[in-house]
Amino acid sequence: MASDTDNTLRRKTPPIALVSIAILAVGIVLFVLNLRYGSVSIPWNEFWDTLLHGDTSTYRTIILDYRLPQAITALLAGIGLSVSGLLMQTLFRNPLADPSLLGISSGASLGVAFVVLLGTATGLSVSTLSLWSTFGVTIAAFLGAFAVLLLILALSSRLRSMVSLVLVGIMIAYIAGSVTDILKFFSQKEGLHSFVIWGLGSFSNVSKAQLPFFAIAVAVGTIGSFLLFKTLNLLLLGERYAENLGVNIRRSSMLIILASGFLTALITAFCGPIAFLGLAVPHIARFLFRSSDHKLLIPATAFLGMDLALFCNLIARLPSFEGNLPINSVTALIGAPIVLWVIFHRQKVSHIQW
Amino acid sequence: MSEVLHTYQLSIGYKGQALMPAIDVSLSEGDIVALAGPNGSGKTTLFKTLSASLKPVGGEVKLFGKDLRDYSPTERSSLFSLVLTEKPDDLFLKVFDIVAAGRYPHLGLLAKLKAEDEQIIYDSLETVGISHLVNRNFVSLSDGEQQKVMIAKALVQDTPLIFMDEPAAFLDYPSKIELVNIMHKLSREKKKTILFSSHDLDLLLRHADVMWVVAPQQPLCQGTPKELVDQGVIDDYFKPIVTKEEFFWMNLEQ
Repeated sequence: MASDTDNTLRRKTPPIALVSIAILAVGIVLFVLNLRYGSVSIPWNEFWDTLLHGDTSTYRTIILDYRLPQAITALLAGIGLSVSGLLMQTLFRNPLADPSLLGISSGASLGVAFVVLLGTATGLSVSTLSLWSTFGVTIAAFLGAFAVLLLILALSSRLRSMVSLVLVGIMIAYIAGSVTDILKFFSQKEGLHSFVIWGLGSFSNVSKAQLPFFAIAVAVGTIGSFLLFKTLNLLLLGERYAENLGVNIRRSSMLIILASGFLTALITAFCGPIAFLGLAVPHIARFLFRSSDHKLLIPATAFLGMDLALFCNLIARLPSFEGNLPINSVTALIGAPIVLWVIFHRQKVSHIQW
Repeated sequence: MSEVLHTYQLSIGYKGQALMPAIDVSLSEGDIVALAGPNGSGKTTLFKTLSASLKPVGGEVKLFGKDLRDYSPTERSSLFSLVLTEKPDDLFLKVFDIVAAGRYPHLGLLAKLKAEDEQIIYDSLETVGISHLVNRNFVSLSDGEQQKVMIAKALVQDTPLIFMDEPAAFLDYPSKIELVNIMHKLSREKKKTILFSSHDLDLLLRHADVMWVVAPQQPLCQGTPKELVDQGVIDDYFKPIVTKEEFFWMNLEQ
């Protein structure tokens, strides 16, 4: 019988409390390192002085006005995108689903492309990336992403099958992508440049003034997602079982898409399309805790997302890189091997199975 | 015995197209009823209609005297439970988690399991004989064990009525016998009413109190397994698929 051959699947679950504390500790260390390291190197003693006593040293601006908002943005984006990815993977019962699955990031790109073209047409230079124009790009991405989210929600109430919904999302992404390309074609060089910069992703676009709004919105989305844990657990059994256990499939799918889409739209608007965090982190959480219980997985995914985003941000700003590497290439570089590992691991497990 | 489910001139099918003549059947407390018929005969359609996944084309289904569709999904979750052929495929889903999910309709917003809920979960695992598998990953179990997990899930849901769709489909002979024993135990000890389906003339059928036999465009026939064999209904309805040996064994074992 198959049940006698799967010793690898019977490994003990690591103690939840211990792993949780480790994840939090890593997060705190990474957060401090994010403040400490960057293109300007700060000696440790001056670093602690600035941080603890808030003195008016020369490093104050660098740490508190530049690195602190960036680190907080990174951790919030990591939390939001990872939780959003987990919701998508569970809803569509697909391990390779991610926050961009339903075309929401493509909608954001389209919004940005519109602003860029508008800037070109009216002679306003968006490419200067002044505070105003960064904010304009954020607003445009926000509107584009939410337009797609609303469209998906409207369509999801008419579609019964999840597969159709994914196909609709992919088609919307294609349409948004091609319109984006057309808009780019008519844009001028500077406009294109700012579009490309936005597309590379960055955790430094959220100003200190916007940060509280961003934090509250991510918190609302994450807590909202957590409240759906019962439904998510039931959906793991399959739609018909979930339905029999009192889940209204259509309403629940819409709520899950709303929570996941809201987080994706919000973070994509502020940080650009960040790849792979949402895809990779839920897998790390499942493998670390050996669990599929969303009551545990959602907080685990959130904190691991925080860790990984802070880690990626740290790598992107390593002193030797002279400033910032595009965050999107760092997340992909770190996220893709994790996804590969998951694919091979699944193959191994299924091989044992059948 | 008290009545659990009753259909009145129930017409089943898709898009207003009835699959078979109207159905008038009923289930009583403690019954084990087998729904048998060849593939494509409408078993699944009838199952889905009785479990509120599908609207009837006509007529009605009364569950404890009230129309099935007048219950809310939450109310229905405490009236009947399902054991389906589709299985959860998540890699880290534990046996305990799946069975505990069956308890969700009884739990509050945070799904906190009380001591008594946990006791119910362990008792159900005991009833179906898989207490030792409680910490295992579901996907690592054999088909027979997985089937028992889903039955345990239905048990903790604590519903008077249990629907089992093709419960014996992937089971080997000893597992089928175990399944029959579990079904008898549930019916006799816990007064559960069980409706299960089967697409071949399985040994399970002989253990049903009542059999409903369906075939495409034929009226549903009901009776005890013996009556149906004697009247030649089994022979007629299963004609295209019954081999001589199977029919021989059916008769012999009666």
